[in-house]
Amino acid sequence: MMNSMNDLLEELKKLFGNFEVQEIDEREVKIDVESDKVVGILTTLKSKGYSHLSLLTCVDWINENKFELIYILYSWQNGCKFIVATWIERKNPKFVTVMNLWPVARFYEREIHEFFGVEFEGNDDMKPLILELWDDIPPLRKDFDPLEYSKKKFPGRQYDKDVIQEALIFRGDKNG
Amino acid sequence: MGEVKLFFGPNHPGMHGNFSVHLYVEGDTVVKAKPLPGFLHRGFEKLMERRTWFQNVALIPRICVPEPDINEVCYSMAIEKIAKIDVPERAQWIRMIVLELARIANHLWSFAGIGGPLGLYTGPFWGVADRDRILDIFEQLTGARIYHMYIIPGGVRKEMPSKIQDMISQTLDYIESRLPDYENLILRNRIVQTRLKGIALLDRESALTMGVTGIGLRATGVPYDLRKVDPYLYYNYVDFEVPTATEGDAYSRIKLKYLEIKQSIRIIRQVLEKMPEGPINTKFSDGNALRYRVPKGYAYVHVEATRGEYGYFVVSNGEDKPYRVTVRGASYPQGLYGIEKYLPGTRIEDVPIWLDTMGVCAPEIDR
Repeated sequence: MMNSMNDLLEELKKLFGNFEVQEIDEREVKIDVESDKVVGILTTLKSKGYSHLSLLTCVDWINENKFELIYILYSWQNGCKFIVATWIERKNPKFVTVMNLWPVARFYEREIHEFFGVEFEGNDDMKPLILELWDDIPPLRKDFDPLEYSKKKFPGRQYDKDVIQEALIFRGDKNG
Repeated sequence: MGEVKLFFGPNHPGMHGNFSVHLYVEGDTVVKAKPLPGFLHRGFEKLMERRTWFQNVALIPRICVPEPDINEVCYSMAIEKIAKIDVPERAQWIRMIVLELARIANHLWSFAGIGGPLGLYTGPFWGVADRDRILDIFEQLTGARIYHMYIIPGGVRKEMPSKIQDMISQTLDYIESRLPDYENLILRNRIVQTRLKGIALLDRESALTMGVTGIGLRATGVPYDLRKVDPYLYYNYVDFEVPTATEGDAYSRIKLKYLEIKQSIRIIRQVLEKMPEGPINTKFSDGNALRYRVPKGYAYVHVEATRGEYGYFVVSNGEDKPYRVTVRGASYPQGLYGIEKYLPGTRIEDVPIWLDTMGVCAPEIDR
């Protein structure tokens, strides 16, 4: 881990209490923080040069019955990144928006709402972004099975026997 | 005159793929713009969770149509990072050749793309024809023209053919000899200059707050390039410059694309010189690649694509399939937030110019 990241981690621990740190490589660190401290930590990191929000995403841990929200912050000054992760309940998932820190987060949050069903308080625009007329549970949740869904949504068509015979003859598989 | 709703897209000559913008116009001026992605949603992130690590290699290039190789590189580098696999030196150099050739091809393609909104139809003919020469190299090198599936976790799939180095050098010489023609046709063309200068402006502060990366940001005078800031592969062993401009308009972005082709040619020539002999991949899957399991872990890997930062966030829970993969499309900020915020106030005919020069790419937004 680079020294500047170590110093910053110490500072964060002083401000927000202890949290779990996982070093991925020299320039990449993942920290697991409690959900009420996320916005504070993100604001501090942003003011320390980690001002680029690379990605905001969500992971569905169905066995733990939790969602993990992931904020990836990148610093253009030293090329280091912080992966800030927090866990929220899977039932009625709710979190606060970070739109006021990064305006583009609005679309990431909209997408997470669409694909995982997480509500973001403070984000006024939660209309579906990508899917149209979606009628099932949010599709990137682990309990959604796309194969089952397409079987239900697009049932196999029943053909007359004669039609199949004709098609086989036409294709040359069978002599007419 | 009242407000009129105008549908821009999903099919439009100034657009990569199908992407729609709903414009509310008064006269010629856009009052409100609403991006409408989703026409190219194929559910890649869900599909990847249902396939094994190595089956996904055939799936991922399809995420981004104009520049498929960055997907392979990001995915492979993410697996190598989680599983701590060492990649042979030669494979890393070959990856750099593939990435830079793809960059040139994509920039040539975007010279073709700008022809649509400008009505300059020589650009498309030249750009596509010259891009085809690079696709010829890819065909020789990988066996496929567009979706190569050449870069795999652990290295590259096969050794370079014996005479490919000459072919690459000749093609680079040819493209270099063509560059003055492109300069005359596009950059020094008076009509293009009047049409593009001062159009689709984006200032530095907005670009940084918005999270725009790549050429959109570098056109505002910020020399941020992941190849320099956070060198992956062996980009720290080659000499190249990061061209920047300060105007922040559509013309400067086109100019940067032109200048980047020169830098890519420079990089590939150095790579061909410096590339050592040796093995091209590591065998790490104990004989059966389809049963390979990546240890538990998280990784975020990003590379500098032609449109900006392109990243893969990969989560593994130790099974034979990825637990979660998220793709960070390079044009996500400018393609969704940028359209909503910065198109109002421009004229209808400048909308495709924003979309084209900012590199809004529908397949990577929808995924």
